[in-house]
Amino acid sequence: MFWKGTSTSVRISTEQAQHTPITLEVIRERLGNMEDAEIIEHQTPNVSTIILVYIRTLIDNERLNESVIQPLRNCSNENQLECISATNIPGTLTVEEAEKQLMLGSILIFDTDENQWCSVNLKDSSGRAIETSETETILYGAKDSFTENIEQNIALIRRRLPITTLKTEKFTVGSLTETNVVLMYIEGITNTKFITIAREKIKNVNFDQILDSSQLAAFMEDHTHTVFPQFQQTDRPDVCAFALGVGKLVILVDNTPFALNAPITFFHLFQSPEDYINRWIVASFLRIIRYLSFMFSLLMIPLYVALTTHHYQMIPLQILFVLVDTRSQLPLSPFWESLIMLVTIEIIKEASLRMPTKSGQTLGVIGGIVVGQAAVEAGFASQVLIVLVGISAIASFLVPNYLMSKANTLIQFILLILASYLGVMGIFMGILLLFVHMNALTSLKQPYLVPVTPFYGKDWLDLFIRGPLQWMKTRPEALHPLQKWRYSRRR
Amino acid sequence: MTELSLFEKTSSYDGVYMTLMVNRIQMLYFAIIMPVFLIYPYMIWMIIIVGGLSQVSIFMLSKWFTSKYASKGYEGFVDLFGERMVRLLSFIGIGFILLKVTVITLGYVEVVQHFIFPAVNTNWMILFILLICWYVASLGMNSTIRFIVIAFLFTAPMLLLLLKFPFQPFATIHDLFPLIPYEWTMKSWKSVLFIWSALSGPEYLVLLAPWFNTREKILKYMTIGNTFTVFEYLFIFIASLFFFGSHYLGENKLPVVEMIRYLNFPVFERIDIIFISVYLFHFVFAISIFLLLFYGAIRITLKKSKVQTTRLGFALCCSTIILCLMILNEMLWKKATNQNILLELAIWAGALTYLFVPLFLFLSLKRKVRD
Repeated sequence: MFWKGTSTSVRISTEQAQHTPITLEVIRERLGNMEDAEIIEHQTPNVSTIILVYIRTLIDNERLNESVIQPLRNCSNENQLECISATNIPGTLTVEEAEKQLMLGSILIFDTDENQWCSVNLKDSSGRAIETSETETILYGAKDSFTENIEQNIALIRRRLPITTLKTEKFTVGSLTETNVVLMYIEGITNTKFITIAREKIKNVNFDQILDSSQLAAFMEDHTHTVFPQFQQTDRPDVCAFALGVGKLVILVDNTPFALNAPITFFHLFQSPEDYINRWIVASFLRIIRYLSFMFSLLMIPLYVALTTHHYQMIPLQILFVLVDTRSQLPLSPFWESLIMLVTIEIIKEASLRMPTKSGQTLGVIGGIVVGQAAVEAGFASQVLIVLVGISAIASFLVPNYLMSKANTLIQFILLILASYLGVMGIFMGILLLFVHMNALTSLKQPYLVPVTPFYGKDWLDLFIRGPLQWMKTRPEALHPLQKWRYSRRR
Repeated sequence: MTELSLFEKTSSYDGVYMTLMVNRIQMLYFAIIMPVFLIYPYMIWMIIIVGGLSQVSIFMLSKWFTSKYASKGYEGFVDLFGERMVRLLSFIGIGFILLKVTVITLGYVEVVQHFIFPAVNTNWMILFILLICWYVASLGMNSTIRFIVIAFLFTAPMLLLLLKFPFQPFATIHDLFPLIPYEWTMKSWKSVLFIWSALSGPEYLVLLAPWFNTREKILKYMTIGNTFTVFEYLFIFIASLFFFGSHYLGENKLPVVEMIRYLNFPVFERIDIIFISVYLFHFVFAISIFLLLFYGAIRITLKKSKVQTTRLGFALCCSTIILCLMILNEMLWKKATNQNILLELAIWAGALTYLFVPLFLFLSLKRKVRD
């Protein structure tokens, strides 16, 4: 703490930094202490010297041989650089530009005779193969998911939307990470207001490290102090293609297998890709089940605490007998009993996520059965509560969005505290505050509870139920798409 | 204290919002106590007739909404009446708003105490409810108006709970007789006044005109809201008549909730606790709107309407209301037995504002056009 203020930050003038003239000495100096930096002199058949500068770990070595070394060996031209295809010869190259090119996987070539610099992009694009989505698994439908390679991700979306109106705008964010970010939208469908807002937000990101799409989302969100996500993260190209088709934006971040969809609403977090694969009646039923599960997971334990603490008169006599019987030997109040069990179940949930798959399953069994049974026998929790905690925990998994299911847990704790003090009234106060809070939230300046409020009646066809696709003739009104109708030929 | 954009207009709301607001503002605390004021079955006709008369006020209000002055908000009022007059009217309005907030809050808190927490000090409940309203209102007029949809969706379906009463074995058609009065007493006139007052509320919406899209068919939407209210009042009253009967109805202080108390489901035996708790959505919405109007009226009275709203100013207003409510609760509401002076005042105030505000605005518009 005594060192505070002693550290000095070095700021280089931007003007000065951008105009340092390139020379081999400066490049050597900049690449000093970099084991993987290579500066190689190469003699061509014309007995002239070509210097190759590159970062070994960032380039594709096979392509270096094929595209640069071999052409130079066979070159009989006077201008050596003309032999190399895909060469980028800039008018003037500054050191900073050269540095950036090197770090992005290009190779710099210096022709000593001509005193000319050029660059060739040899970026090593090898990465993880396209695999099945692990976070949004579905039984039927496409199995491919995004990878860490942004260009591959763009291609996955383009395959689904082979149209020239699918636009991609590239940005670079993060002063240290220099992360590539691509904003995607369909021109003529997505409202320009959203594009402008997103563009401005990406440009305004001023942070050194953007390593993940969720970090970018954190800087782009309209509201920082909320538990509700304002961007939908997905690793499914089909979900992104669908989002683009209805008038949303997609943001891809390099080295992240998760894309961001926006603007979203609270209700989008309950929609699953399978909703549009199942028959509409089945899909609607499943969607309603998801909403109910969300409610159950939020309310069951607080309601148990409220009823057993404040409103015994609300419980029918037969159920009351069971409750009194199971609670008669317990030393803890319903609130503490519930709190301990909820914290325990959260610990088990988190631990099973962090462990290897097989150990996670074992942990689930031990946590669910052994700990639950032991807690009852030891007199820490009643059987009724164990049943409720179990149902509540299972119900919380039905929310397709992981970020939302985590928010769910926090809200449950707040409702639990309110229920213990104010009973049912406290629970409704909590729900009221929750709705008021959500009502004030926005995603890309678009209200979070739309189409409920602001009210868009037509959009209700794909809200709590998933109506037949034939009936969804228009794109969601709430997204203000520039092209309203979804069918191309008038009937 | 930092600045706060409470009255910022970022979007305009269409006729659906107007329908919901007219309906919900008419269905506040008076809906809970209404049957006890009406008692006689022939008041069914009075609800329909007064509902029809209410349509006249709605018509006059719709004229205001479609006028060029409405969308200008404060400036519109100044153009019509002059600044001095607007300040005077705002000053008078502060009292009316305070009275309305007092009665709906204390009334609701009394219901909570009576049915849910008999031992709790009502001042705590006042504090909790107003703190929530403070939070809602501090999010701004836009967000508060938007909240009407949620308030409506949560509270309007509660009416379905009453569907059971007309079909109970004890409900006979004789409970609805006589449908023609044998005699017309002073009490009957007071009941008419009560119905008129119960239907009041939409007159406060003239202050929200800049947030509404006035090009919409405002009369149509306001009429739908008013009709729905009349239907709700009728339904509640008929259900009460079936449940209590005309003779016993006057004996209950809070007949609607008492009635719901007898409902039970296999999982919950006391539905009234849930009913009262859900009604919080309705009350919070209304009180939050009135809090904003109260703050706005104070700003106009103090000639500060063009100055940016501040957290301190709003906090002072909310604190004043909390303090006033607690004092009125201790001094008048708690001690009220048969004669609740605040309730009487609220009935008269509601009736007066619903009669004169639309009329005054309508005549002023006419006069302005003639000039």
